Amino acid sequence: MKLLKQLKYSLLKVIDLSGLTFLAPIVRLCYGEEPKVQLQKIGQWILVPIAGVCAFLFLWHITSGSIQTKSGTLPNPVETWQGYNAIDTQAEREGLKKTSYELVGEERDQMLADAEDRLAEVKVQVAETNAAVTAAKEAVDAQTKELIAPLDKEYKELKSQYKAASKARKAVLVTDADSLKAGNVAEYNAYYEKVEESVVKTAQEKEELSILKKKIDKIREIKSPEVAKALLEQTFAAEEAQYLSKQIELLSDRNRAVQVETATGMISTYNEEFLSLTGKAAYDKARSIAKAKERLSKMESSSYAQPATIWYQVKRSIFCVFTGFIIGTAIAVPIGILCGLNSTFMAAMTPFIAIFKPVSPIVWLPIALIIVSGLIPDPDNNPLMLFLWDLPLIGEYKINPAFIASAVTVALCSLWATLANTALGVASIDKDHMNVARVLKLGFFARLFKIVIPSALPLIFAGLRISLGVGWMVLIAAELLSSSEGIGKFVWDQFNNGASDSLAKMMVVVFLVGIIGLILDRIMIVFQRMVTFEGSVSV
Amino acid sequence: MSTNSKFVEISNLIKEYPNPYGDPFRVVEDFNLNIKEGEFISLIGHSGCGKSTVLTMLAGLNEISGGGIIVGDREIDGPGPDRSVVFQAPCLMPWMTAYQNVMLGVKNVYPHVDKATQKQIVEHALSVVGLADAMKKYPKELSGGMQQRVGIARAIALQPKVLLLDEPFGRLDSLTRMELQDVIIDILEREKLTAMIVTHDVDEAVFMADRCVMMSNGPRAGLGEILEIDFPRPRNREEIFSDPKFFSYREHLLAFLEQRSHIKGDTRVFSAGETLGFLNKEEIEEIQHQSEAVVA
Repeated sequence: MKLLKQLKYSLLKVIDLSGLTFLAPIVRLCYGEEPKVQLQKIGQWILVPIAGVCAFLFLWHITSGSIQTKSGTLPNPVETWQGYNAIDTQAEREGLKKTSYELVGEERDQMLADAEDRLAEVKVQVAETNAAVTAAKEAVDAQTKELIAPLDKEYKELKSQYKAASKARKAVLVTDADSLKAGNVAEYNAYYEKVEESVVKTAQEKEELSILKKKIDKIREIKSPEVAKALLEQTFAAEEAQYLSKQIELLSDRNRAVQVETATGMISTYNEEFLSLTGKAAYDKARSIAKAKERLSKMESSSYAQPATIWYQVKRSIFCVFTGFIIGTAIAVPIGILCGLNSTFMAAMTPFIAIFKPVSPIVWLPIALIIVSGLIPDPDNNPLMLFLWDLPLIGEYKINPAFIASAVTVALCSLWATLANTALGVASIDKDHMNVARVLKLGFFARLFKIVIPSALPLIFAGLRISLGVGWMVLIAAELLSSSEGIGKFVWDQFNNGASDSLAKMMVVVFLVGIIGLILDRIMIVFQRMVTFEGSVSV
Repeated sequence: MSTNSKFVEISNLIKEYPNPYGDPFRVVEDFNLNIKEGEFISLIGHSGCGKSTVLTMLAGLNEISGGGIIVGDREIDGPGPDRSVVFQAPCLMPWMTAYQNVMLGVKNVYPHVDKATQKQIVEHALSVVGLADAMKKYPKELSGGMQQRVGIARAIALQPKVLLLDEPFGRLDSLTRMELQDVIIDILEREKLTAMIVTHDVDEAVFMADRCVMMSNGPRAGLGEILEIDFPRPRNREEIFSDPKFFSYREHLLAFLEQRSHIKGDTRVFSAGETLGFLNKEEIEEIQHQSEAVVA
């Protein structure tokens, strides 16, 4: 009983610390504490937001259909969800391809058999979907033809009719012109009016025809949902078939173990042949063996060149934002402390802060990119890069100049909030605390580390929280521009890709970026709360 | 033991603040006071008369505009651990435990003492103020009175020559206030410290001090009257509060604050049981006249 109560208090404490206060009423309700009040709170802080989300989804769903874009209508929630599934499936398949490449022995045989079975199934599906697409298209075509036929007929009739009429008018007018008497202004004017009338009439007839034509075209353009659905299924099946054949390849001929085996076999054959050769032929064979051995050693340590998946990009973006954030913090906190401690230093820094603060990431990035690429002209042979690539954990993210430039841009754009808050926090230290420090005759460093920094920490962390939020926003743009592998690049690739589901995938990124930003913010809130003490200055 | 009658010597002390539209604004003028070694002085006066200003100048936290202060044999120059201060607010670092708060000063004032001795000093100071069991607690876990006890422990742990108390009980309820008064009296008794307390409370001024120093009204506040309290030490609250002398001392202070605090000029000293109660108009005028005449 006591333990249960303890659990309740720890739960409530964790909830309070993490700022997820909307969960508190649920915990309290579970313990039967004032059910009426808790239910009311749940209604206000959980049900109302859920209703809000539902309303948003509903509005999105009904309006998206009427927003025409370059690549079809705006994706609705369902299509966006499908886009997410497509991204996720692709990531999963890339992972499986990598395993396939590295698999050996029985496991490989098993997987190969499975893949082949599945491919057989999928091939049937492909054929079925192809047929379905053709059928759907035919059905729609027939329907369209039926709809168009009367209009088309009308159009053709009118066209020939108008053509004949125009021709007749022209012939009459030409003959009329023969009887004109030179110098008779009135007669000439009357004739001109007739011609003008005829020209206007012809234009009117043309207009009528083009309206009719547009009507026909519009019917042709109507996209049938059945066809779209069939096409989607076809794409699904075709993609899976393509993936499976690729996987089978990676499990058989292109599998690392298989390739190594083949190469080893070849070398031993060469060796046998070599022993019976003389002259130039012997030299050539020996050379071939040496080359084959070199290839073999490379092959043994090779890994599957996996294209970046969305989850890798997400991880790399988070890594990049923290790199930039740490660089920014390392600059902002010391300078902020100096600014807060010394008004002369503050006066010296103010112009720089005022001028650099409003500069957009779009300006910093190219500058950073040029400087970093200048410092690291050949990343593949740069000792620093090679060192970073060999490090555990962060090695897999392949830090390159684009990554560094993005991180530096994040740092340059995000450090201002931390700087300003640190300076404010240091400058607004309780005067009593400083008096205590004076009475105790604390030295500069004792004063700095025992009094100044601890009392400024809550404000510093408030600044860090803003900085991380700004940094995350800036990073996506920086990655997009610098083509640094990450979420920003994913968006850019989708923008350039122009596939039917590209827009849906970009909408997925909106939510992905938002959710990650929210989590980062929450983490910073927890830190901020941990360093905040009673009576500290807060924002 | 021979006691130094001029252990603390405050002479012609002046405090001025710059005034952009005229002469500097003089808060304290010609403040003269000698404090014996081991003596407890209470400084009393109306709000804003400059009591705390005098104390913070003695602490070195407030710049001296004129005159000088000698403590021991040295003229003071800025703050120092030989004159530790208990502030009105406890001023504890909220991110440190009671122990760490006290240790902060000890570590700095005794940097060459080994860790075990430092620890001993801190623990002793905290147990003297009755916080032996609350050393590991953070300020937010302590009541206002307990926080002020930590403030006192921090001040005495430095083993100062002079203990300065700047309205230390101003924010506490009267029960806690009494407890802490006893704590301070005990400490001073034991450590034979010289001390000065700034207070608004007449009872406190009489009960705690050997001499009550009354300041005249500001601006240009100076020393009005000095009243010697000849209660023996150690002092017992019940005994003193029922002693008729206590009431005459009390009346003296109240009468000063009410009737004579505006009088500037010579300092009037009342020694060995001599007191002055409420006076009529003529008597006050005579005192005023005399004071001005001496100065002239």
